[in-house]
Amino acid sequence: MRIEKCWFCSSTVYPGHGIQFVRNDAKIFRFCRSKCHKNFKMKRNPRKVKWTKAYRRLHGKDMTQDSTFEFERKRNRPERYDRNLAENTLKAIKKIDKIRSDRASDHIKNRLKTGKVQRQKEARKQLEQGIHLVKAPLALAQDSSLHLPKIKVNVSQAQTEGNQPMEE
Amino acid sequence: MVQYNFKKITVVPNGKDFVDIILSRTQRQTPTVVHKGYAISRLRQFYMRKVKYTQQNFHEKLSTIIEEFPRLDEIHPFYGDLLHVLYNKDHYKLALGQINTARNLISKIAKDYVKLLKYGDSLYRCKSLKVAALGRMCTVIKRIGPSLAYLEQIRQHMARLPSIDPNTRTILICGYPNVGKSSFMNKITRADVDVQPYAFTTKSLFVGHTDYKYLRYQVIDTPGILDRPFEDRNIIEMCSITALAHLRAAVLFFLDISGSCGYSIAQQAALFHSIKSLFMNKPLIIVCNKTDLQPLDGISEEDRKLVIEMKAEAMKTVIGQGGEPENEEGVLLTMSTLTEDGVIAVKNAACERLLNQRVELKKKSKKMNDCRNRFHVALPKPRDQKERPPCIPQAVLEAKAKQAEEEKKRKTEKDLEEENGGAGVYSASLKKNYILASDEWKEDVLPEILDGHNVYDFIDPDILLRLEELEREEGLRQAEEEADDFEMDGEELSPEEQEALAEIRKKKNLLIQQHRMKKSTAESRPVVPRKFDTDRKFTTKRMGRQLSTLGLDPSLAINRARSKSRGRKRERSVERGEADGGDTMDIDGNQASKKLRLRSMSRSRSRSRPPITEVLPGEGLKDSAQKSYSYIETKAPVLWETFHWKDGQALRHVQEIKL
Repeated sequence: MRIEKCWFCSSTVYPGHGIQFVRNDAKIFRFCRSKCHKNFKMKRNPRKVKWTKAYRRLHGKDMTQDSTFEFERKRNRPERYDRNLAENTLKAIKKIDKIRSDRASDHIKNRLKTGKVQRQKEARKQLEQGIHLVKAPLALAQDSSLHLPKIKVNVSQAQTEGNQPMEE
Repeated sequence: MVQYNFKKITVVPNGKDFVDIILSRTQRQTPTVVHKGYAISRLRQFYMRKVKYTQQNFHEKLSTIIEEFPRLDEIHPFYGDLLHVLYNKDHYKLALGQINTARNLISKIAKDYVKLLKYGDSLYRCKSLKVAALGRMCTVIKRIGPSLAYLEQIRQHMARLPSIDPNTRTILICGYPNVGKSSFMNKITRADVDVQPYAFTTKSLFVGHTDYKYLRYQVIDTPGILDRPFEDRNIIEMCSITALAHLRAAVLFFLDISGSCGYSIAQQAALFHSIKSLFMNKPLIIVCNKTDLQPLDGISEEDRKLVIEMKAEAMKTVIGQGGEPENEEGVLLTMSTLTEDGVIAVKNAACERLLNQRVELKKKSKKMNDCRNRFHVALPKPRDQKERPPCIPQAVLEAKAKQAEEEKKRKTEKDLEEENGGAGVYSASLKKNYILASDEWKEDVLPEILDGHNVYDFIDPDILLRLEELEREEGLRQAEEEADDFEMDGEELSPEEQEALAEIRKKKNLLIQQHRMKKSTAESRPVVPRKFDTDRKFTTKRMGRQLSTLGLDPSLAINRARSKSRGRKRERSVERGEADGGDTMDIDGNQASKKLRLRSMSRSRSRSRPPITEVLPGEGLKDSAQKSYSYIETKAPVLWETFHWKDGQALRHVQEIKL
């Protein structure tokens, strides 16, 4: 029982799922679902289809080279069973997984950082240039920070004074 | 080997059909449309193509004919002679030669006409050249028509010739007509040859096959031979003579003892002696047939003498092959095809003799010598009578015995299963005999899949070390990351700034939307100008709100707007919210009116239109007189028109006079 990788989108194919296609030259293609299978039949190149892992790796969207990938390697020669080894392996898998996902998300974060910086600069510029739409120059002169002006509600003294004689 | 493919010769069409086929093919396979307006090179090419195509086809077909018909010199002499006997070599060769010349002629014609076509200067000339070329080619074919017909007939006959392999084991049956050759043939093979009381029932060679000692023998039945000089023989007899002459076979010479064939023994003996030269190097057996009518012992003395003579001759052939001269039985045999008495014996004798002869020949031939040098079967010669069996050490014998015992005593898994309840109840533990470092681990179950990974892919003896390394690396990396993150955080906008930015963007979007609406409706829909304000949304309150959101104090602006709207007559200055509200000394009028103002907020004519003659500020007119004059000059006539649009010409005219 093995978990395979879908040939098209590189997602995991659990046993009992998907379709396996064997070509006349004995090359096996496994697909996780009919979407991938149909794309394959249409002869689409996964490296050009945006949502596949192959595309993402090729275009640097996802992490490609890392030492965590070395841990998982298809071994053809079985090792003799050793309980300690098995325990260690199971624990290790969890840790390796965590490290790998951390690194992957960091990679993506780094990738998006430049965009973020740029956007912040743009925002600042837009704020400086467009502040006149929300704050009158007079108000800006009085309070030169780039915040929204405070709305002053005049409670008139005259009115209160005027009311007094009436109440009397 | 051409000789076996007489059946595969393609049909030779006769002259007319040939011409038809080729011409129709030319018409179908080459382009057909041409106009006289085409370039001359194109026209020439068109017609040249037709001529060449026709020539090629003729060439092809004639070549196939020439190649497929066998060349009499190149096939086995038996077939060569047979064909000569049947069809006459010379005629055959002549016919083929004519075909060949026709082929060459056609090629020449084509070449000449193509050369001429290269200089054709009009459509008509090219066309007539082509017509001439094709015509001449067809005439050539017509002239060889008779040859083609002859070859077709030959082909049909050749296809029906019996497929005789001249190199394999063959038995030939010969003798006078009506002696019983075909009946014998029918008896030993599956061939169904005609057997009739009249002579020359069999008119050509027939082949049958029979088996002896797991080998297949060809049996050839020939037409009867008469005793005539060689030159007088007819075609049918010549067939059998040819067969006798060329095939390396065992010959069975049939003798009719009873004489019911119509010929006496003397005549048959005479025939025998005349063709005995043909029996050179062939195992010969003299078969006396029809013994049911006349047994061999019952014939007359002379006949017997003749028979003995024949036998002697036959013996000579035996000796010639190096066989034992004592063996008389294989040479003269009697049988009767009617009673089937001795038929098998004859067949066996013939096959045996033939086989022996062939084996002898093979042994003597050079090929065998080449092979034989390489074989040698070595058998050690026993030097004395002592027994020497194989030597097995004692320990091995003991071990073998012990193993045998153990086999019987060992408890198998099947026994175990049956003890514990049978097949459905007990399932054997497959892990029982595992060799592991500790026996406790034998029944351990290891998961194959964990969190979307195959566990077997991760198993590694030094996984712990590598994991430690990895964690160290990760620690370092994370520290770096944090340092980087710390640096980056200075640039962000504060929440108030973000608020302001959001407002700015909203406002901008609104402006853009309004602009788009205005733009799209600008040319198609008339827009009510702002001063008519039907929804009454341009109020001072709104203005006040907008100004205050911008951070300004709207009171001044509102006052001014209000004062403007109330006209010049009522000069009220709204001084609300003054800092020194009641403290200063007001002017009397103002004070009184201030009270009124404060109580009743009367709006003088804020909602109705001003009279026509009232000058509104901002219009650019001096006083009401000027305004009324301008009105009379510009607007009044227009208004008159709108109200009197139904009036006829007469009324309008009246109006003019008045003015």
